[in-house]
Formats: sequence, C-alpha cells, structure tokens
Amino acid sequence: MLDAISLSDLSSSGVAVPALPSYIRARGNLSLRLKKGPHKSAIVDLREAGGYRLKFPRAEQCEAMIVNTGGGLAGGDQLHFDLALEEGATAVISTQSAEKIYRAESDASEVNLDFTLAPQAHLYWLPQESIVFDGAYLRRKMQLNLSSRACFAAFEGFVFGRQAMGETVQDAHIEDDWMIRREGRLIFAERLRLSGDLADQLTRPALGHGARVAATFLYVAPDAESRLEEARRLLDDYQGIWGASAWNGLLTIRFLDSEPARLRRQAIVFLQTFLGFALPRVWQC
Amino acid sequence: MIWLSPSFPVGAFAFSHGLEWAVETGDVHDYKSVCLWLDDLLQHGSGRSDTVSVALAYKAVQAHDEQALQELTEWVVAAQPSSERRLEALMQGQAFALAIKSAWGHPRFTELCELCGPDLPYSIAFGLACACHAIPLPAALRAYALAFVSNLVSAAIRLGPLGQTDGQRVLSVMLPAVEATALFAQTAEFHEWGGSAFYSDISSMRHETQYTRLFRS
Repeated sequence: MLDAISLSDLSSSGVAVPALPSYIRARGNLSLRLKKGPHKSAIVDLREAGGYRLKFPRAEQCEAMIVNTGGGLAGGDQLHFDLALEEGATAVISTQSAEKIYRAESDASEVNLDFTLAPQAHLYWLPQESIVFDGAYLRRKMQLNLSSRACFAAFEGFVFGRQAMGETVQDAHIEDDWMIRREGRLIFAERLRLSGDLADQLTRPALGHGARVAATFLYVAPDAESRLEEARRLLDDYQGIWGASAWNGLLTIRFLDSEPARLRRQAIVFLQTFLGFALPRVWQC
Repeated sequence: MIWLSPSFPVGAFAFSHGLEWAVETGDVHDYKSVCLWLDDLLQHGSGRSDTVSVALAYKAVQAHDEQALQELTEWVVAAQPSSERRLEALMQGQAFALAIKSAWGHPRFTELCELCGPDLPYSIAFGLACACHAIPLPAALRAYALAFVSNLVSAAIRLGPLGQTDGQRVLSVMLPAVEATALFAQTAEFHEWGGSAFYSDISSMRHETQYTRLFRS
C-alpha cells in the first residue's frame, strides 16, 4: 500500500528542482501489545497501517508474522514497529519472506523497531534474512527495553546480493543500530556501518573474510552466561565462521558464511535446539 | 607522548585484540597480512571507533557537556563485542586513569573519572586526560591511533609473523592510514561511530577458547 507520494524534491543546493514523482514512499506502521493468556499470549492491541500486516498463524505459542505487501524496502520507505509484551507474555515474531533492501535513489529506507518487555516476558525475534541490493541505503534502529527478569532472543542476518543471480553489492550504505537497555541501563550497543564497495570489503581479512552473509544471534536472559558452553557445542560441526561470547547477562554469537544457504540450515538447527521449540513454518521452507 | 609509551602502566602488552587467534589460524602470518589486518581495523574497525571515542570524549570535556560524556561512556562500554575485548578496554582504562591521577594529578580529570563511573574504557580515559591537560586534539588523535597500531605490531612480533625490522616496515607503511583515521576522528560525529570488522570481533571470541595463549585478548 502506498499512502504518500512525494512530488517535490530539493537538490543539494537547496533549490527546488522540478516536481517529479521520482520515488514512491511507503510508510508502514505496526503496533502490537500482548498479554499472558490461559494457553498462549493474547492480543491486547493491534494496529496496522501502510502496507504492513501482522498474521498470526496457528501455533502452540503466540506467533506473529510480519507481511510486507510492498514486497521490499525502497529508498524513502519506512517501517515503524512498536511491540510491547506485558508481564508473562511470550511471542515469536518472524517475517513472511526475506526483506529486500532495494536501490535507493536519494533517501534511506528506514526501519525503527521499539520493543518493551515486562518481567517474565519472552520475545523471540526471528525475522528471515535481509537481502541487500546494489545501491541500497538502509537506516535501521532497534531499541529494546527489558526487565531484568525478561528474556530476549534474536537472530538476524544480512545477505549481500543474490548469489543465484550473480549479484554483488558494489555500492551501498547500511547503518544498523541496536540498543538494549535492561532496567534502563544500556547493556548492549551495536553500530554496524557498511559503506561503499561492500563486495570488496567483504573479502577483507578482518572484515567479511570472504562472506556473503553476516548474522548475529543475541540472547539476553538471566541464564545467558551459563549457556555459553552449550551454545558452542551446538556449533561445533558448523563449517562456516562463527564466534560466541557471553558477559553481563547476555550471550552473543556472530556468523559469517560464504554460503547463505548453509548458514540458514545451521541456524534452524541451532535455534530450535537452543531455544527449545520448532521455528515458525516460514523458516522451514 | 609519554602516556602512550610502552612504559606507561596500562598493561597494553597483555592484549592482542583477537590477533592471537588470527595468527593461530594462519590468517595473519606475514608482513603483508599484518598490514591488511591493521588497515581493516583503522578503516572499518576498532581502530577507527576508538579514535572517534577519544575525540568525542575530548570535545565533551571542552564543551562542559557532562551528559554527553556519560552517554558516550555508557555506549562505548556496551558496544564492546566480546568479553575479552570488554576486559581489554576496561582494564586498560582503569590502569590509565589510576596512573594519570597518581602521577599527573589534575583535579578536573579525577572529577570526570568519577562522573563516568568505574567502567571507564581506555579511549575515553585517554580523551579526558588529553582535554584536561590541554593537549591539542589533532596531536592526541594521531598519537592514539599510532599507539593502537604499534601495540598490535609489537603483539605480532611476539607471536611470530613479524621480525623486528618488518615491524618497523609495517609502522612506516601504516602511517598514512593512521593519519587518515586521526583526521577523520577529529570531525566525526557520534552517529559515525561504528564499523564492520566482523572477523576481528569473531577472532576475539574464538580467542577465549584458544588452547595456548600469550595474551589476555
């Protein structure tokens, strides 16, 4: 759904250039609030606008799947997702398909995620990978506020170019910020900054080391540090590049792989074993 | 810059920033691979971010912006990518602050350290000290970026991939990149902090379980 069309633009000199619909903007807004229910968590409030929908497939626990009816993010497109889990609520959030970050003519594609977890809430944030196209310009911000007795797990990855199409990313700009606060205190911050010839940077020894996909697993929970050895054992046979560390009530694993499909297969096995439930159906195909 | 000399008691010799793992795997094994590794860190990794942290801390002190300084400190602590890198940043920061306080005593420095709290990363502590002692920012940044490189060169010499002479060659070849990083940091804003040194971060994680180790990171 396209609910805003920008007809004017300003050149860098500040002089108005002839009004042309050079790009079409989608402004997506999702807002979801869940509470603990007798069997599984229930919706308290749900709002959807601007091309994004939430579907709730039948599952043992509360699953929500984000659907982007626009089929990807172009320059100027925006998504804002507000998610609140009340005390004791549990949710598994995924996306219907891999999010495609298309070439941006001028403005960035912007994604803002705001998550709040009350005590005993469990959020599993498991979107499918984002595919970065040549010319992409993405600014993404994830802010999470959680109680010290809540649990958050996330797996996210960027695939650079579609391998089957022989695509590489010669020029793109990615800003991905994560800010996690526990009881108001910043415990995890990350600023991924990728800019320029990503195909070249991904071959560099201390950067991508030959990878086409980079992914992160993050687990924030009272038992995070005590599960580090278990996490390492689960990845022992994995042929891609990975490293795991834990401190201060969080566990993080970084993945690099030259074969995105291999990482996806490994991620499914790892996540299901570590988290202890079957991943949403969209992950299985 | 006495504060960055190897004799200054911050214990920099104990940390390899994940390099020890990269040497173990053979990824870093000679003059050329050391140069590539360092260049990545200066352009896209911790060399760049840490130098930007020095500049931002310095400017926050000059502007008397205590809130910005506290937020920056909280951010840099939370943004360490592994438990050993966190240890490396905080142990050196603490040691540096202690040495400055006891040998160079500047009441403003002590005050600012208290404001930032016990978790004080090395880059921030260095930025505070330079601002309190009115060391010109460009010189401070150049010295910091060079010390970052020379500490890793000395680690590479101890780990084997470099001889003493090659170590000097690396330093001379890296000077333009050091200069560029310092220049970038001078005007960089907070939102430019960050990078993409995935494999360097992974190396510091893998180092945690490395069988034989000379270094603490």
